[in-house]
This record gives sequence, structure tokens and C-alpha cells, in this order.
Amino acid sequence: MSNPQKKSGMPYLVKLIIGAIFMAAGVWISQNTTELTHSLTEKGIPLDLGITVSVIGVFIILIPVINYYYFTPLAEAINERTQALESTFGEAEDLRAEMSKMKSDYEQRLAATEAEARSQIQAQIKEAQALRQTLMSEASAKADELVKRAQQEIEGEKTRVLNELRSEVVNLTLSASEKILGENMDSDKNRRLVAEFIEKVEVPK
Amino acid sequence: MAESKVARRYATALFNTAQKNDVVKSVEDDLSAIAGLLANDHKFRSFMLSPEVGREEKVKIAEKLFSDRVTALTMQALRLLLVKRRENEIEALRDEFVSLRRDHGSVAYVVVTSAEAMEQDQRTALISKLQSEFGKSVEADFRIDGRLIGGVRVQVGNHVLDGSVSGSLRRLGEALRHNILFQN
Repeated sequence: MSNPQKKSGMPYLVKLIIGAIFMAAGVWISQNTTELTHSLTEKGIPLDLGITVSVIGVFIILIPVINYYYFTPLAEAINERTQALESTFGEAEDLRAEMSKMKSDYEQRLAATEAEARSQIQAQIKEAQALRQTLMSEASAKADELVKRAQQEIEGEKTRVLNELRSEVVNLTLSASEKILGENMDSDKNRRLVAEFIEKVEVPK
Repeated sequence: MAESKVARRYATALFNTAQKNDVVKSVEDDLSAIAGLLANDHKFRSFMLSPEVGREEKVKIAEKLFSDRVTALTMQALRLLLVKRRENEIEALRDEFVSLRRDHGSVAYVVVTSAEAMEQDQRTALISKLQSEFGKSVEADFRIDGRLIGGVRVQVGNHVLDGSVSGSLRRLGEALRHNILFQN
């Protein structure tokens, strides 16, 4: 509790004296202005100047006391309450700001994480697509190669079989020719062949 | 191969000596006779080529058999071969000697193969034609091979002059096969 003397600009003792003076002055006025009081009462104004001045003196004396025991604690309580409220509001505001900041950070982190995840997903998708494309290209190339090789093998086999067939035909033809020639060959024909050879033979130089 | 080189070396020495003494033909005949005996007489061949028979015994038998039938030079060469354990080279020595004689005498050796035995007039005509073509004398070895069907084939060293029916058929087959391959 604060001292009322310190709070007011005027020392309490001075106020006490002034109040006592006003009370004494009221008593004196009340005793010496009876006629005026009756006159005012008769005129419909129930005003006793002495009492009024005395009451002013009482107020001058009591106001610091009331102030000291009631208004000051009340003001302090109100101030404390106000400060507490302000503090609470301030803390709440800080907390709200911190929460807001945290929320913002979280949202930023979340956004960054989402962006990173999205980026990674996109990269994975691209990689998967590239891999798919590569695998498809390789598979296609391999299939083309297999088809080409199979066609070549078929063609080669066909050529080989045809050649074998033709060679076989040639062999059979030659065998038949050999047999026919052998059967039709006699000494005269042989002699003619030898004579023809002797006539035409040339030694390569 | 090593054996041929040995035979070549012996043949060269024997040929040079025979040439100096002017007995090339006699030595060739002697070598042909001995080689012919080796080829035709199985017992003589087994005896001469057996590693179990001693060289002195072989020399003794050879002298007994050939000393009064062959020239001294041939006998000396045969003795040397037997002493040096080169009896396996006798036939190769004969071949090399003949080859040297042909080389020095500018003689072409031909093998004439025909489907049937050639008559003498055709043999003479063929040799005459070959001598004319080669520009030197020709020695011919006439053989018969029925697989030729007809005609004649002459082999001179590594060259073959083929006038046989089988040769014509073979060439025809080769041409046909070449055409088959060429078409592809």
C-alpha cells in the first residue's frame, strides 16, 4: 500500500489542518449565520452554509484516507489486473505470433517438403518413363534383330536347301551321264577321243 | 621328309660319280632291278629291311646276289647303304637317281592314263606331240584306269592335261555348281 502523503502534491498534515479549519469555519458560520439560513429556508433553499463548509472540511480530511484505503488499492488492483491482462494478452499475442510464425514455418516446410516430394516424384516419374522408353526401345530393337536374324536364317536355309537340291540334281545328272557314256563307250570311240586329244593338246607355257 | 633328304644326298653323290664314269644308264638299271626285287619279293624285302638282321649278313647276301649282276659303282653304293643302315632308302634312292638323270638329260617324265590300253601308234603319236610341246624328250609311264570312261589324261609334274570323259564330266559339274553359287 502506498503512502497517501506521497501521492498527493500537498502533505496530508496540511490537508488535515485545512480540513479542520474548514470544519471550525463551518461551525462558526453555522453559529453566526442563523438568520441567513432561516431566510434561505423560507425562500425554499434549504442550505446551511456552515454545515456545507464543515462537510467540505470533512471531505478534505477524509478524501486522502479514502484514497489511501480504497482508491489507491483499487487503482493498484485495477492496474495489476490491467497489467496482468495486458501481460496475458501480450503473452497470448506472443504465443499467437509464435504460433503464427510456427504455422508459417510449418507451412513453408510443408510446402517445401511437398515441393521436394513433388519434384522427387516428378523425377522418379521421368526416370521411370525414360527407363520404360529405353526398355521398350531395347525390346523393340531386340525383337527387330531377332526377326531380321530369323529372316536371314530362313533365307540362308532356303538358299542352302536350294543349292543342295541343285547340286543333287547336278550330281544325279552327271551320274546318269557317266553311266550312259560308260555304256556307250567302245574301243573305236575311245580311240577317236585319244586321237582328238593328241591333235588338240597344248601344254600351258 | 628327312628320309627323302638322305636319299637325295646319296642319289646326288651316286649320280655325279656315275656321270663321270659314263655309267648312268647302267646304274639306273641296276637300281631299278634291286628296287623291283624289293617290291616283288616279299622274303627278300623282309630280310633286307629287318632290323634284327645284322649289317654284315645283309652285305654278304647282297654281294652274293648282285656283285656279278650290277656295276661296281652300284654295288659300292648298295654296300654303303647297308653299312650305314639306310636300306630303307633304296627305293627312294632309285627315284631320286631317276629324277636327277631326267633333270640333267632334259627329259620330261609324264604319266599317261587311259581308259583302255593305248595302241602303239597312238602312244608314239602322243609322245611325239608332247616332245614337240615341251621342247625336250619325254619319258612316259602308261597306265590304265577304267574310271576315266574314255579318252586320256597326261600328268606332268603338278600339271594335268585332261582329255578324259570323266574329266570333262567333272569340269561340267564344277561349272554347273559354280553357276548355282553364282546365281545366289
